[in-house]
Amino acid sequence: MANDLVFIGAIFTMVCIGLYCVTQKSMIRILLGVEIILNAGNFAFVYFASYRVIEGFVDPLGQTLALMSIILGGSVIAVGLALIVNAYKQFKTTEVDEMRRLKW
Amino acid sequence: MVMGTELLFMFSPFLVVVFGLLAEKLSISKLREGVAIILSGFSLFSVYQLYAQWQASPSKVLVVTLGGTPPLGACFEIDMLGIYMAFSATLLGLFAVIYSVNYMAHDTRLTEYYTLLSALVVSIVGVSFAGDFFTLFVFWELMGITSYVLVAFRKESWGPIEAGFKYMVMGAVGSTLLLMGIAIVYGMAGTVNFAQISTALRGQPMSLWLYLVFAVLVVGFGIKSAIVPMHTWLPDAHPEAPSPISAMLSGILIETALYGFIRVLYLIYEPGAFSLPITVLAVATMVLANVLALLQQDLKRMLAYSSIAQVGYMLVGLSAGTAFGIQGVLLHVFNHSLMKGLAFLSAGSLIHNANSREIDNMKGLAKTMPITSLTMFVAMMGLGGVPGTNGFISKFILFSSAFGVGLWWLGLLGVLNSALSMAYYLRFLKTLISRPKEAVSGLKEAPSLMLGVTVSMATLVILFGIWPEPLISYASEAARALFNNNYIKVIMP
Repeated sequence: MANDLVFIGAIFTMVCIGLYCVTQKSMIRILLGVEIILNAGNFAFVYFASYRVIEGFVDPLGQTLALMSIILGGSVIAVGLALIVNAYKQFKTTEVDEMRRLKW
Repeated sequence: MVMGTELLFMFSPFLVVVFGLLAEKLSISKLREGVAIILSGFSLFSVYQLYAQWQASPSKVLVVTLGGTPPLGACFEIDMLGIYMAFSATLLGLFAVIYSVNYMAHDTRLTEYYTLLSALVVSIVGVSFAGDFFTLFVFWELMGITSYVLVAFRKESWGPIEAGFKYMVMGAVGSTLLLMGIAIVYGMAGTVNFAQISTALRGQPMSLWLYLVFAVLVVGFGIKSAIVPMHTWLPDAHPEAPSPISAMLSGILIETALYGFIRVLYLIYEPGAFSLPITVLAVATMVLANVLALLQQDLKRMLAYSSIAQVGYMLVGLSAGTAFGIQGVLLHVFNHSLMKGLAFLSAGSLIHNANSREIDNMKGLAKTMPITSLTMFVAMMGLGGVPGTNGFISKFILFSSAFGVGLWWLGLLGVLNSALSMAYYLRFLKTLISRPKEAVSGLKEAPSLMLGVTVSMATLVILFGIWPEPLISYASEAARALFNNNYIKVIMP
């Protein structure tokens, strides 16, 4: 029970930190926030997998999914970094405030 | 269980890369465009072949397993609902690719463009056919990644980069929340296969976790399908993308997200559950999007807001929660893909010539571009729901489904919103035929290939408006696939 609280608390904290980072002004920080939320999701998978024990081993399905989503998350972050590089080339800044020309 | 050689078209992006690089090395003009068109046509044909197989199958669902049996192996669940969505996606994809040949001719990096476009179509087909959350999530992310890059494709100017970054951040947060939802469902059911989840969870008494799953699903799918208040990326991303991509995004991508929401919702909960929150979302989406669309000066931005409003109409059918309502949703998905695709493609031609996206700069274009203006007229009449176009049929079914379950005020609100939307469509059409400030010269009609695409789409819009019976029967078959449990019977006999 105590372990559960720790794990759920950790996942919840990660989501909160990530959402806080997403509201920041720097593009790099926003991207890091996305990454933290993503890892909270992966963490949740590993946590739930630990509940299901099949023949003495933890259910491999949850772990497989976590691995796969790490790869997918990496590709998304790569796209984000490419966008940041392009933004920096044009505006010479990575602050969102200075490129806010479209209405948010 | 079938082998699924018909699914080979899912590898078409790789062929586009190979031929595109070959065309660049040997500098053969139009090779990669030709290959992209042929492969899009092949995808459409493969979906038809799958339909024929589906008709012949006794269980009315085709299951293609990849790497072992469920729950460990991934699988495709090909029922009428998936085929319906895949058909809409591949048809619009074919139109978009043919249109791109002329439209993108002056851009560079075309190999990347056609590869990403065909990967986008394939990923939408993958999402529609997914038989478990694992497959759904993988194709979902592929759909996201390709569309982020395509929105920011013209990276030389500031608009696409900003819109693309905004879209990327919101889309990534949405899909991570979706991942969280999948994790919770996995924790409750111990599997990610749709059939096994459905047997484990449907009909359970509502618990805190199930409410949490619903909240996460609404946000996760809602961001991609631009449900108000999670719509803020759409009015930026859709106008900044090249016009064929705007057509794909507005025409089918946001509907695919809505499809995913409907599929998962009916999997985990009883039909008709959560009617109230969905009704609230539908009303907010319709009203806000229509009012904001009225205020726009930018043609593509106006069309983007109109897309959000159309998602609101689709939510009306979903909140009714009956097979009739879902049938209306699906019918509107297909019709909207044609109408909004046509509107964005025609807008692309107009913007190409007027060299501006401002509505005021398009005065008098109807004189120089009569055919494109006519197709735009057909598209906007369809979007407004004028009888004689296919938009009328699907809106009629959507709103009457709301009346059918006693939500008369929701149906009435839908009709009023539809009438309101005519205001901004007519405003634009009036601009097209009004007298320009100075005499325009040097403008000419769009190239014949672009005209061919828009005219054939306009023909389809009219055709399905006056002869909707086959489409209605397909849509009702697809809606029934959601309510019968054929898939569960095949996976868990």
